[in-house]
Amino acid sequence: MTTVDNQADAATGPGAGDVQQRLVAFLGSRTGGDWDLDRDLFASGAFSSLFSLELLQHVEQEFQVTVEGDDLTLDNFRTVPAITALVQRLRGDGAAGR
Amino acid sequence: MTAQATADARAALGDLVGDRAEEWDLAGRIPAETVREASRRGLLCAQVAAEHGGLGLDSRANGELTAHAGSLCSSLRSLMTSQGMAAWTVQRFGTAVQRGTFLPRLTGGETAGVAFSESGAGSDLSAMRTEIRRDGDTVHVTGAKVWVTGAAYASLLVVFGTYGDGAAVVVVPADAPGVRIERVPDPMGCRAAGHADVHLDGVRVPADHLLSGAGLPVALLATAALTYGRLSVAWGCAGILRACLDSTAAHTRTREQFGKPLADHQLVARHLAELAVAEQVTLRCCEHASACWDENRPELGTQAVVAKYVASREATRGAATAVQVLASRGARDGHPVARAYRDAKLMEIIEGSTEISQLLLADHVRTGRG
Repeated sequence: MTTVDNQADAATGPGAGDVQQRLVAFLGSRTGGDWDLDRDLFASGAFSSLFSLELLQHVEQEFQVTVEGDDLTLDNFRTVPAITALVQRLRGDGAAGR
Repeated sequence: MTAQATADARAALGDLVGDRAEEWDLAGRIPAETVREASRRGLLCAQVAAEHGGLGLDSRANGELTAHAGSLCSSLRSLMTSQGMAAWTVQRFGTAVQRGTFLPRLTGGETAGVAFSESGAGSDLSAMRTEIRRDGDTVHVTGAKVWVTGAAYASLLVVFGTYGDGAAVVVVPADAPGVRIERVPDPMGCRAAGHADVHLDGVRVPADHLLSGAGLPVALLATAALTYGRLSVAWGCAGILRACLDSTAAHTRTREQFGKPLADHQLVARHLAELAVAEQVTLRCCEHASACWDENRPELGTQAVVAKYVASREATRGAATAVQVLASRGARDGHPVARAYRDAKLMEIIEGSTEISQLLLADHVRTGRG
């Protein structure tokens, strides 16, 4: 986990574990249970229609990033690893940063 | 700095409205020059940053400005709600280039309407049939929107529609070929807010008018835009309550019946107490939701619904109380409490009706603990 690699998937880069952990904690707290890492947030039916905005707000606030332009896609928010990859990229962590 | 900016904006708004709110209500029109001036001074979307010609107020300061507008004229306040929602949608989903293109226009004399509702898609926005389709460098927009606030004044329309499997938002110039704007003849409330139906018949705009986030679920796009709108409506309702409280307090101090001022009659005094509490409760909900906005807290969307729900119900009840207490003195179209009575009721309908708000809040409780 701590080895710097050059894979395109930034979710395996440095700090990714921390981001994933905090996302899982957030999702768990909002659903009142353990959150499965690969569960599809939007297909799960676990969330209300207000939740998608809440998630976007949370990701920006918690990780101090701004998600805009072409990054505003459903796929970037579909699973914890996807969000993690987005956060890593926006923070410029690891080799996958822009 | 913000305090000074807020005070200046408040004074500018007061100058613009003066004592003409009644006249505007009766005519169903705000003079175009007044609307332009409000836009040019950045008053209609006061949270837009200075770099785009805006006043750069935070949500709290803009809320207080909105409440002031609501206490004077809910029609102008409605224009603030739609302009602010348009600006926020561009800010939230636009690229840097789009923000630089459209926001200065919204603080430079132009007006925008935000087109959500359709005849078959009111509360249920997922039933929207307006289609936004991209074809190379052109975006095609076809559909029909109803009750678009401010559209009768607007040079820009922020249009929500379907886009493939999801939804999208496109900025459509009101003078683009294929756009037809038809004023709602006799709105019950906010009569001068320029409500209009908007027909989009094979409209073509450049692809750079399509905001980012195209393809996202309509729930996300609409909730983001509506969150601003709900907060704005809530603060506007706080202003309605303030106007009702002021009118009622003044009337009950001076009007005498049975040998004493109305305020000394216990049943009237209770109305005064309830109005005062309604204003306070509304303000606290608005302040809390604005704090969520200013601190970028995740619960913002929910708190905006709470604020709008509480505020519009309190305003509806409070305005009815004010009319009851002022009786024949207030029972004339154009009078502040008569306007409040009609305007407040519409606030229970737009940006998510009272019942939809209840469903959203219940669903939020059911699916999460936050």
